[in-house]
Amino acid sequence: MISVYLLILKRFLFFALLQGLIFNNFDFFDIYDPYVCLVFIITFPTKVNKITFMMISFVFGFTLDLYSNSLGINTAACLSIAFLRSYILNFVFGSFYDPHGIKLIKNYVLESTFSQKFLYITAIILIHHLILFSLETFSFKFISLILFKTLITSLISLIFCTTFIYIMIKNEK
Amino acid sequence: MQQIIDFIIRKKDVVVYFVLLSLSLGLLLNSNYFHKSKAILFSNSISNFTTENFNYLNEYFKLKEINFKLSEENLFLKNQLEKVNQNISLDSLTDADFSYKNAKVISNNLSSFKNKIVINKGANHGLKTEMGVISSDGIIGIIDNTTKNYSSVMSVLNIETKINAKVKRTEHFGTLEWGGIDTRYLLLNDISETAKIKVGDSIISGGMSLIFPEGINIGVVSKIITQSQTLTDSENIVVKTKSLKTNNLYFRENYLNIEVRLHNDMSNLNNVYIIESFNKQEFQKVNQ
Repeated sequence: MISVYLLILKRFLFFALLQGLIFNNFDFFDIYDPYVCLVFIITFPTKVNKITFMMISFVFGFTLDLYSNSLGINTAACLSIAFLRSYILNFVFGSFYDPHGIKLIKNYVLESTFSQKFLYITAIILIHHLILFSLETFSFKFISLILFKTLITSLISLIFCTTFIYIMIKNEK
Repeated sequence: MQQIIDFIIRKKDVVVYFVLLSLSLGLLLNSNYFHKSKAILFSNSISNFTTENFNYLNEYFKLKEINFKLSEENLFLKNQLEKVNQNISLDSLTDADFSYKNAKVISNNLSSFKNKIVINKGANHGLKTEMGVISSDGIIGIIDNTTKNYSSVMSVLNIETKINAKVKRTEHFGTLEWGGIDTRYLLLNDISETAKIKVGDSIISGGMSLIFPEGINIGVVSKIITQSQTLTDSENIVVKTKSLKTNNLYFRENYLNIEVRLHNDMSNLNNVYIIESFNKQEFQKVNQ
């Protein structure tokens, strides 16, 4: 169990710094940043219980907020995704999902169909971005802008996140 | 009572979620100025330290470009000074309305709707809130928070920023706002439809708020959309998707909607100047 927490700590520092220092200033087409930090939440070990997971995500989001000078926005988005992840896993993988966490994320990625993997990652990215951008503007006036930006940014995040997840799983073997 | 406790134990992750969510929303919506600036002070001490050190490395790659920009600005200023020297004697320098300070950009973000820039000078160097920030090419933003050694600047690319500006040729006043998507264009509103403005007119700062002195270059008019045009355009779907860029929200009746192309490249900022106004308090007294 301790080794799991060490792994989490390692990934926490890696993805927080990666997002804060490099990908926050990435500026794809001037204004779209890929949110690579979501890999941390997507590949979070299912073994850890949900309350601990939410606490860690809360702190993770807060760290990201420190880098982007926006208090509470990333925190709320990361926390909500951590809360919703078990429901998404259940919905996407169905009977394959076990809530006790004997299966690793590696199993989920390697032993499922393409559409399942795609749906899982896309759902998390879309929901995260939607929460992030709506909290950022905090008004219905900009609803068309929010949806437009969510779509484009999700597409870019999706490409980067899948690349990172595959690199991580290959190295784990 | 037993049932309530049972319910809470059964749904404990939902309870924890809502407690943490309200905590994070509290951080976001906290209107208490003191707490907010405390939190930002804390964030500055950690994240700005790492970002600043990371920037030292990055700066070397841009050194050539920065040098070129500075020498070009120097040339421009020398020419300006020559003009001043010819026309008037300089004994009125003590009565200057504005003074300038220089600073360096530490972090610059373009990806959010409310972009902020952090610069490496703060209250210790005499910066206060509501001071204007410009670069050699044009305006950048307004300081909205200062700590001891850093301050955060509300960039012009922020959907809440409103800056007073005017058309140089016709002297019509308006408000500059950002549409939310395109980082090279701003929107100039509140100019009546009768104003004869052409594409290519230059836009300068208006000097009405004393944040910026009058006459700082901002950009040029790149497109003018009148009310009658937008009505016919809205029938056409192709144009409609295009106009998402210029953001239909701001269209008002009997006003021109002017798209302004910025002179400065907001994604590439290094040396900036902070403008301090000496007459601000006096001006605010009159305005009240």
